[in-house]
Amino acid sequence: MAAVQTREKRILWILSIPMALLALSAVYPVYFTINAALKTRKGYVLDRFGLTTDPTFVNFSQAWNQSRLSEYFTNSVVVTVGAVIALLVVASMAGFALAILRFRGRKIIFITILVSLMIPVQVVLVPFYRTMIGLNLIDSRPGLIIAYTAFFLPFSVYLMTAFYARLPRELFEAAQIDGANLLRVWWHIMLPMGKPALVTLGILNTLYCWNDVLISLLVLQDQRTLMVGIAALRGEYTTNVPLLAAGICLAAAPIVLIYVIFQRQIVNGIAVGAVKG
Amino acid sequence: MTQTLTAKDSKSTAKAVSRPKSGGHNAERLAYLFVLPALALVVVFRIIPLIWGLGYSFTDYDGMSAPRFVGLDNYIGIAHDPVFLDSLVNMLILLATLPIWIGLPLVLAILIHQGVPGGKLFRAVYFFPAVLSSVIVGAIFNVLLRYDGSFNLFLKAMGFSAVDWLGNSSTALFSLIAVQLWATFGMSLLIFIAGLSTVSAEMLEAAKLDGAKLLQTWWYIVIPSIRPIIEFAAVVTTIGMLTSMFGLIYVLTAGGPGTSTILPEFLIWLEQGKMNRPGYASAISMVLFLMMAGLAAIQIRIMSRNADI
Repeated sequence: MAAVQTREKRILWILSIPMALLALSAVYPVYFTINAALKTRKGYVLDRFGLTTDPTFVNFSQAWNQSRLSEYFTNSVVVTVGAVIALLVVASMAGFALAILRFRGRKIIFITILVSLMIPVQVVLVPFYRTMIGLNLIDSRPGLIIAYTAFFLPFSVYLMTAFYARLPRELFEAAQIDGANLLRVWWHIMLPMGKPALVTLGILNTLYCWNDVLISLLVLQDQRTLMVGIAALRGEYTTNVPLLAAGICLAAAPIVLIYVIFQRQIVNGIAVGAVKG
Repeated sequence: MTQTLTAKDSKSTAKAVSRPKSGGHNAERLAYLFVLPALALVVVFRIIPLIWGLGYSFTDYDGMSAPRFVGLDNYIGIAHDPVFLDSLVNMLILLATLPIWIGLPLVLAILIHQGVPGGKLFRAVYFFPAVLSSVIVGAIFNVLLRYDGSFNLFLKAMGFSAVDWLGNSSTALFSLIAVQLWATFGMSLLIFIAGLSTVSAEMLEAAKLDGAKLLQTWWYIVIPSIRPIIEFAAVVTTIGMLTSMFGLIYVLTAGGPGTSTILPEFLIWLEQGKMNRPGYASAISMVLFLMMAGLAAIQIRIMSRNADI
C-alpha cells in the first residue's frame, strides 16, 4: 500500500508542472496588460515585453479623461446597480409566490419563465430592438436596466424558487399569509431568509451586467457602457497599446476586486447551478 | 418577526400556506401580483419578440413598406447564402472541439480533487479569466496574438516561426476558439470539482486496495460516477458555443478575415445592423432558436433521466 501511495504522490507532483505552466499562461496576460499600461507610448515601442523601469500613470488619466472612460464607467455603475436591484426584487417576489403560495397557473408561469432561457437575445435581436424603440426605451439607461432584467431573470427566478422551496414550511405556517400582509411577509420574512441566495445572485448578476456587450450595443446609441467603450478604444487605438491597456485595467478592476472578495460565493453559485442543474 | 405576525390573530393559522385551498381569493389575486413583474418582462421582451420574429421570417419586410408574406423565401435565401453557410461550417468546427472543452477541465478537476500540490491555487487561477468580460479578454489577446506580439515572441524563442494568428483565415478561427477555451474552461472545472466532491471516498479506497491503477480508477469509477455532471457541462458548454461568442468575435476578429470567424450569432448582428431586411435576419435567428430548442430538449431528457436514478 505504502508503495502505491508514494508512487501516486510522485505522479501528482510531476503532473503539477504542466498545471503550473498552464496557470502561468493565465497570469501572463494580466502581467502584460498592467506592465504595458505603466509604460509611455514611446517606452512601449522601444521595449514591449520587458518589465517597466519607469512606471507612469499618464495612460490611466488619459483613458479616464480624454477617452471618456469616466463617463462610461458611471453609465456601467448606474446600469449594473439598477439592474441587479431590479433582478433581486423581481426574482425574490416571483420565487416567493412560486415556491410558497398556491394559485392557479403556478406551474405554467414557472415553466414559461424557465423556457425563456432558450430565447437568448440573438434569437430575438430584430423584434427585441423594435420593441425597445416602440416602448421608447432605446438609448436610455433605464431601458438598458429593463433589458438586463429581462434577459438575466430566468436563472434568478429559478434559484430563488428552489431556495425558498427548501426552507422549512413551519416558518410560513406560523405567519398568516393572506392578501393583507403578503407584502409584509415578503419584506420581513422572505427577503431576510433568502439572503444567502440573494448574495450569490447579486454577485453573479453583477458580473453578467458589467461584462455584457451585445445588449448594451443594441440598446444604447449615443451613450456607452464601459465594455462597449473598451471595444471602441480597441478599434481606435490599435497602435497605442499602453492607453488601451490602461483602459482595460480600469474596466476590469471592479470585477477583479469582486472576484477576490467574493470568490467563495461565486464558486458556490456555479456549483449550485450545476448540481441543481 | 414570525411571532409578531401570529400574535395579531391566532385564528389566522387556519389560512396558512400549507392549506392551499383556504388562502382565499384575495391572497390568490395578490400572488399573481408577485409573479407579474417577472412574467411580464419575460413575455414582453422575449416570448412575444420570438413569435414576432417568427412572423417576420416569412415576410419580405424591409423596415419601411408593409410586410408581404413570402413563405419560405427567406429560408431558401439563407440556405443559398455563402456567408450563412460559412458561419454554419465555422460553428460545426467549433462544436467539433467539444471533447477538448470537456476533457481538459475534467482531467484538471480530477487532479485537483486528488490533491495535486497547489490545487487550491490552480483552481483560483484557472477560473479567474472566466469572470472577465469577453471584451477584456478579446482586447488583450488582440495584442498578444499580433504578428509582433508576445505569443510569436515565445514561439520564436522556442525555435518556431511566427504566424499571423488573427490575420490569416486558416488560423483565425482556431485562435478564436483557443482564446474562448482558455477564458472559460474554469467554469466547467468548477462544475466538475463540485461534482467530484460527491464521489464517495470509500469506493476509491476499495479500488486502490484491489490494486487498480490510477488511470483505471479514473476511467471505471470516477468518471462514471459524475457522468450526469459531465453531460450537464457538455450541454452548458454547447449552449455557450452558440450564444456566448459574440463579445469575443466583436473585439478579437470582427468576424474576419473574410468570413473565417463569423458564427451565426454574429451574422444575425451584422444583418440586424443593415436594418433593411429584418425578415432575412429573423430567418437566421429562427435557425439558431431551433438549435437552442434542440439542446434544451436534450438537457431536459438528461435531467429527467438522472432524476429517475
